[in-house]
Amino acid sequence: MAEKTVQIRIKRQASPQEGPRWEEFEIPYRPGMNVIVALRDIAERPVTVEGKSTSIVSYDANCLEEICGACAMIINGRPRQACTALIDKLEQPITLEPLSKFPIVRDLQVNRQRLFEDLKKVKAWIPIDGTYDLGPGPRESPEVQQEAYPLSNCISCGNCLEVCPQYNDHTTFVGAAVISQVRLFNLHPTGRMNEGERLEALAAPGGIQDCSYAQNCVKICPKGIPLTESIAAMGRAVIKHTVKKALGK
Amino acid sequence: MATATAETRAASHSHSFFWRRLHSITGVLPLGAFLIEHFASNAAVLSRHPRQNYGEQVKFLNGLPFVLALEILCIYVPLAFHGLYGLWITKQSEPNALRFSWWGNWAYTWQRISGIIVLAFILWHTWTARFSGVSLPDHPFQSFAKMQAMMANNWIFAWFIIGITTVCYHFAYGLFLFVAKWGIAIGNTARRYWTYACWIIFLVLAYAGLASALVFRNHWIYPIR
Repeated sequence: MAEKTVQIRIKRQASPQEGPRWEEFEIPYRPGMNVIVALRDIAERPVTVEGKSTSIVSYDANCLEEICGACAMIINGRPRQACTALIDKLEQPITLEPLSKFPIVRDLQVNRQRLFEDLKKVKAWIPIDGTYDLGPGPRESPEVQQEAYPLSNCISCGNCLEVCPQYNDHTTFVGAAVISQVRLFNLHPTGRMNEGERLEALAAPGGIQDCSYAQNCVKICPKGIPLTESIAAMGRAVIKHTVKKALGK
Repeated sequence: MATATAETRAASHSHSFFWRRLHSITGVLPLGAFLIEHFASNAAVLSRHPRQNYGEQVKFLNGLPFVLALEILCIYVPLAFHGLYGLWITKQSEPNALRFSWWGNWAYTWQRISGIIVLAFILWHTWTARFSGVSLPDHPFQSFAKMQAMMANNWIFAWFIIGITTVCYHFAYGLFLFVAKWGIAIGNTARRYWTYACWIIFLVLAYAGLASALVFRNHWIYPIR
């Protein structure tokens, strides 16, 4: 009896300068395996379906439980996390491609620096350290916790940017994830103290105005974050802040 | 290197928040308001005496105080800005509705396609109806016959149908976008209801526009005097 196998096609690229090529692999099936397990199995024996020995496929992965965001790639045409992409639920041959909106490093590995720089631009953190003990911050009400919790699930995977028609080389758009992080940190009672700075960053070039509301982000988000709601909420906050500031108040 | 490119790009449109929001609001006011006024005026033909009533409308509008200033400031200037800036926005986009065919993504893509069609239609329509042929401000009661003569041509009539339908779509979906982007409706439920409302606005406007256009075709021919 023939052993059950898994067919995988991978778009490979040795370096940013070289052109991409496709390689096909066939590996033994194991119950419950996901794309990361399949990539590890290929790494154990990097031989293509034609029997040609090849280099190990490069990819990013870390937590393997959809928390770190590192293993985002395009699986069967859809950007998603490789760790939660179960082989049983995927049509074969499975195609793997790197995210297209970030500069490629090698194979399935991309450089997501633009996303991290944009998170820095909007100060997506809460400054709590001083030169002395600042004491406890204000309490967060359960209502605010309810609103903030889903937003805090963002893993900065970049899937929302991959599907966004406005996130490309012509714009400096920060994208849905970053806008939603501004909402999260502005909801926090201590984070609110820097509300203005974050909103001004969202009105700067590449800010919230570059969103044209195609609403793809909310469809693809693996964490179910209400991104379109965040964009609408921040749209209101930014315009309010901008008008108030322009009128000198 | 990547950052240097980003900075150069950023510097080239440093006021984009202001211009994008201005683009958004000009689509509603004054352009959307004028669209509704225009369709309401055209609906004067949906009466027992279309030629007379249509002429009265044209006469009334041309008799408004400061009509030329109104025309320039409330129509031509915002239209030029909205159209040209819209083309620039379209140039920056990379539509992907064929790959990710969710309705919102199609609506986004159609907003750009319809924008280009509408701009072409409005330029042609303004030229043919306002700036060439019989001068309507001077001869308001020739309006009906002028439009009728134009629409007697099947191709031109089809072009009118395309123009009317796409402008209604562009305006109705633009209203949805306006409410979403300015944060007027934040919650998902509110935005869903507003989507339905915008579809109704689209249907009502398109019905009014197409019904008015049909009158020019179905009515007996008035000669241009």
